[in-house]
Amino acid sequence: MAYLKGNAQGDILSGFGQGSQADDNLIDENTILVQRNLRSGQSVRYSGNVVILGDVNPGAEVTATGNIIVMGALRGVVHAGANGDETAVVMALSLNPTQLRIANHITRPPDNETVELALPEIARIKDGVVTIEAFQTGGERQGKII
Amino acid sequence: MGEVIVITSGKGGVGKTTTTANIGTGLAAMGYKVALVDTDIGLRNLDVVLGLENRIVYDIVDVTSGNCRLKQALIKDKRLEGLHLLPAAQTKDKTAVNPDQMRQLCEDLKSDFDYVIIDCPAGIEQGFRNAIAGADKALVVTTPEVSAVRDADRIIGLLEAADLREPRLIINRIRPKMVRQGDMMSIEDIIDILAVDLLGVIPEDEMIVITTNRGEPVVNDRNTRAGQAYQNIVRRVAGEEVPMMNLDEESGFFKKLKKIIGLK
Repeated sequence: MAYLKGNAQGDILSGFGQGSQADDNLIDENTILVQRNLRSGQSVRYSGNVVILGDVNPGAEVTATGNIIVMGALRGVVHAGANGDETAVVMALSLNPTQLRIANHITRPPDNETVELALPEIARIKDGVVTIEAFQTGGERQGKII
Repeated sequence: MGEVIVITSGKGGVGKTTTTANIGTGLAAMGYKVALVDTDIGLRNLDVVLGLENRIVYDIVDVTSGNCRLKQALIKDKRLEGLHLLPAAQTKDKTAVNPDQMRQLCEDLKSDFDYVIIDCPAGIEQGFRNAIAGADKALVVTTPEVSAVRDADRIIGLLEAADLREPRLIINRIRPKMVRQGDMMSIEDIIDILAVDLLGVIPEDEMIVITTNRGEPVVNDRNTRAGQAYQNIVRRVAGEEVPMMNLDEESGFFKKLKKIIGLK
């Protein structure tokens, strides 16, 4: 896809990561950055993590085998951990998806909820249930480093 | 060298043709030389809205297939000197023209006119691709309905993919009272989703139906709300800075009446 910019290359990080072997499992290089709004009918599929610098509008779809982070309003359909990874998370500055899927869990917002919250939220699977909570700074306190 | 502007929406019935007719008429009234092109082959309407239906001899398919010269197919408007219409064919379908032919047609028109305004058909198939092929700029028309906004979003994505960046938005048929009551999407709601520049807002106005059926664009009638709104849009298209109209304003008579009886 022509509009995908900036594919994080392994060799960019290699100069930094060498000294601290312990941190290696915390660095996930397989991530793409999408620097635009995704509009109805547009979709991104990626085997890895996806970061979107823009909104995901209703009718747009993002599918990733890893995590999905939307630095904007998420109103479309997202599927994180598409290969069955239940530790995958979805985070958005405004999390109002049409449908949110993590691994093989499918959720949608309650029918009567129409207010768009404009605070960062994170969705992940906790005890087999997709849970959405406010995103707080300090990754460790979230129970998982992202 | 003129400018080719395509007016599109995705969804049908939101006011593309009415908008095309009004912007074209408005620009021609300002003294510009304007060509309107109807690309809705098989379902032509622009000629009817302009009241020029009975003057059609040749159409866009005759031009692109070489049956006639461009000048022969262009119909002069009956009111305005600078306004011309290239009508769509009614008996053919969208495949009768291809994007390359449209590009050539737009190039030819650009050399003769200040503005070439293309009325795009509904949908995203060949008719749409033809209409946008030769365009320099795009205007997207939507109404405050979820379905229309969804389609506009899709269209903006397709326009960007076709390198028509930064389309401008026209919100049609808004009812300020319903917006205030929370029963209709507001301008802010729509802009929030579509994230494009707003060119103008046209309030719902019965006069549109009346003038459209009469074959006289409402933009000529400064006494109507919709006419004023279109007038503002036309001036913005021509590059003027025009402040947004206050939609909350009530019509003159009732405002005065309310002032008299002390409601305001």
